Amino acid sequence: MNDSLFSQLSTLGSSVVLLFGITLLWRRSLRAYTGAFQWQSAVLAAMFVIIGYFGHDPELYFVAVFFGILKVFILPRYLERMEKRFGGQRESQPYVNVATSLILAGLLVLLAYAITRPLVLVSALPTRGGLPLAMGLIFVGLFVVITRKKALTQIVGFLVMENGIALLAVLGTFGIPLIVELGVFLDVLMGFLVMQVFVYHIHGTFESIDVDQLNELKH
Amino acid sequence: MMFLFLLMLSAYALGAVGALALGHGTLGRGLAALGAVVGAGAGFTLGVVALVSGQSLSVGVPLVLPLTGFALRLDGLGAFFLVIIGLVGASAALYGFGYSAAYEGRYSLRMMGAMLNVLLLSLSLQVLAENALTFLLTWEMVSLSAYWLVLTEHDQPGTVRAGVWYIAMTHAGFAALVAMFLLLSGGELTTSFAAMRSKSALLAPPARDAVFLLALFGFGSKAGIVPLHVWLPMAHPVAPSHVSALMSGVVIKMGIYGLVRMALDLLGGGPVWWGGVVLAIGAVSALLGVLYALMEHDLKRLLAYHSVENIGIILIGIGAGLVFHSYGLMTLAALGFIGGLYHTINHASFKGLLFLGAGSVLHATHTRNMEEMGGLIKRMPWTALFFLIGSAAISALPPLNGFASEWLVFQSLLGGFNIPVPEVAVLMPVAVGMLALTSGLAAACFVKAFGITFLALPRSPEAEHAHEAPLSMRLGMAILALACVGLGLAPFAVAPMLGGVLNGLGGLPDTRLAFTLNVSLQMPDAFAQMSPTLVASGLLLILTLVPLVMWALRVNRKLRVSDTWGCGRVGQTPRMEYTATAFAEPLRRVFAELYRPSRELTIDFHPESKYFVQSIEYKSDITPLFDRWLYDPFLRLVRFAAGQVRRLQAGSLHLYLVYVTLVLVLLLLAARWF
Repeated sequence: MNDSLFSQLSTLGSSVVLLFGITLLWRRSLRAYTGAFQWQSAVLAAMFVIIGYFGHDPELYFVAVFFGILKVFILPRYLERMEKRFGGQRESQPYVNVATSLILAGLLVLLAYAITRPLVLVSALPTRGGLPLAMGLIFVGLFVVITRKKALTQIVGFLVMENGIALLAVLGTFGIPLIVELGVFLDVLMGFLVMQVFVYHIHGTFESIDVDQLNELKH
Repeated sequence: MMFLFLLMLSAYALGAVGALALGHGTLGRGLAALGAVVGAGAGFTLGVVALVSGQSLSVGVPLVLPLTGFALRLDGLGAFFLVIIGLVGASAALYGFGYSAAYEGRYSLRMMGAMLNVLLLSLSLQVLAENALTFLLTWEMVSLSAYWLVLTEHDQPGTVRAGVWYIAMTHAGFAALVAMFLLLSGGELTTSFAAMRSKSALLAPPARDAVFLLALFGFGSKAGIVPLHVWLPMAHPVAPSHVSALMSGVVIKMGIYGLVRMALDLLGGGPVWWGGVVLAIGAVSALLGVLYALMEHDLKRLLAYHSVENIGIILIGIGAGLVFHSYGLMTLAALGFIGGLYHTINHASFKGLLFLGAGSVLHATHTRNMEEMGGLIKRMPWTALFFLIGSAAISALPPLNGFASEWLVFQSLLGGFNIPVPEVAVLMPVAVGMLALTSGLAAACFVKAFGITFLALPRSPEAEHAHEAPLSMRLGMAILALACVGLGLAPFAVAPMLGGVLNGLGGLPDTRLAFTLNVSLQMPDAFAQMSPTLVASGLLLILTLVPLVMWALRVNRKLRVSDTWGCGRVGQTPRMEYTATAFAEPLRRVFAELYRPSRELTIDFHPESKYFVQSIEYKSDITPLFDRWLYDPFLRLVRFAAGQVRRLQAGSLHLYLVYVTLVLVLLLLAARWF
């Protein structure tokens, strides 16, 4: 009974997390991206709590708190600040249009199912249903980074991918050691800050945060 | 010996640190020179002590470096090269003290002083290396420090290009050496040379052949054998002159050291074709080197081509040694190797001397173009004397050292009739012919080099106002000039010493006693003997007697100052003098097939009449065959391939991310299904 509830909850949570990731593909304004990321992170923090509760690992509560502070409050705030500075830019012309993006995202999730199938088959974990979804989220994050032009979108895509990795880790292992988790958080924060600096420089140089302007550096 | 070794290390280290810390000014230059001179002196003494006592020195590695994997050991061959490094290193460093004064405020003296010490240090450690790792590491240190030194005058045209060629060639060679050592040691680079020596005989013949060919390519690229010689005439001229002396005198000799160490010592000799290939490459290098040198009017480029020639002569000796070795004619083999190694130290001393002399000329006239020199013998008598000694030595005139070693090489080649296979035996006289032609052309070339540079009237205002080199530069040249004379007069001491060095390497017998230790040098297994000492005293006698007799006969006591070859003209100018181009013209015609010269004659007539000429412009150039037929096609191929690969590099961030993602997905799929 308990296990089946756990299993259902984890699959549901993973699905919601993935759904927020796919949201990125049809929204255009940067503010919507930040919101999607914020909600996704909040659900993910809840997932930590659920897994901590059913998996009897109180450490995960700490992780959930840290995770929540970092990804629900700090990073979105930074993102909003950057967004204001660049004056409500929109992802008007992605390399792949919305309809195609959604179809491709579906295919990517299918690919994730195909790839994780051997793992899911041999796994006895109650959370195994979420593993392909987490993998799918990683692909979707990567897809956002590849097809969107604005540097800010790419940062959000990266953060979503990072969330996917966190989800995969917690579903697959029921919590990696706290110190590793903290290291990963610090890593994300540092990476984010460095990217922020780059975005400011790109904006300063090209008067735009379209990454395809970087092509001009080639010659 | 341990003390000398540590003194050498610490002097070089202090010299390098001192130069970096103090840098510019007399003190910094002095410290760099002092460190190098003391270090080179200690290395020289260490080598001599090891050679005379016949002992070898194993250096406990923890003493030097707390890391494992390094091994140093000094044996006879290493000691001999240590002597060369010390001799040329000390002179070049001493010379560099005065020479680099002109660099003050223009180029980085810090880097130059430090890199000079690092170069000498790594060269000294190179010949002590006892395993592949140490050898490769020091090899790379030598290459890189020499690269920095070549780039000293980085803002001059051609310097950076020369540096790129040098570093590319030396790294191509380095790659071959790494492959060679991996093949020989079975993948473990810390295998000691001793272990390789015993293991190499067990290697399959194709593997041994591969090791030999890799060694020939790797060491040949450093030594400058044809066709890998192209970097020498570029890099030697643009380096500061004392660095050119070191590079030509010592750095390229590391290729010879490596080849002897590998082919004779570690591999213990091989089939006949090994020696044949070395001999052929040597003969071709010698001949082409001197032929291209003849066409050069840039004094330092001329000398650089002569390095190719002399490396060729050394390789003729070594190749002959390897051929005899494969037929078991051990005494003749030893003779060939002795000739080659003897020529190695001789070339180091006279080429070092000549580069230092060319440096003094450059220092005084600020040009390397011989056509703008002339008359320097009156203005820089000491430099002229030293340059003359060097020229006579490189032209193999007795009683100087070039003669002694070339004579030994000839003797070993003449022993070729002992080879039981006629097809091979008949090749030896061919090599003799090529060597003889080379020597003759070298003499012609140095008549040109010395005559055009130092004799006649100055051809430019710079040459007119030339000044003698300062004391430290003259001292540096004097050391090497003395070495040229000393090595030429004492082959009866040097040859047996080299016999001792080679004793036991690759199964060579002890030939120390084969050379009788009296004044004349008698050849084992050969039919000749030679006494440079007697030749010298004879020459000295004639040179003093003739003037004395003439004086006694009251012939022409008056000193006349007048125009030479006036031909009745009034107002002769230096423009009417014999030029370097004119001197080389007959040879340019004889060897036109090789040079493929291009001529361009532009005559500007007076508009009124064709009988009045306003100006004549004559341009002549020779075709650089190797650049055109070997390197240009190769470079074109590389560029084409790079251009194709470049399409991947579209510059788009998204495209790169697609690559990453595609690879990730493919790997995941591969992991799923395979």
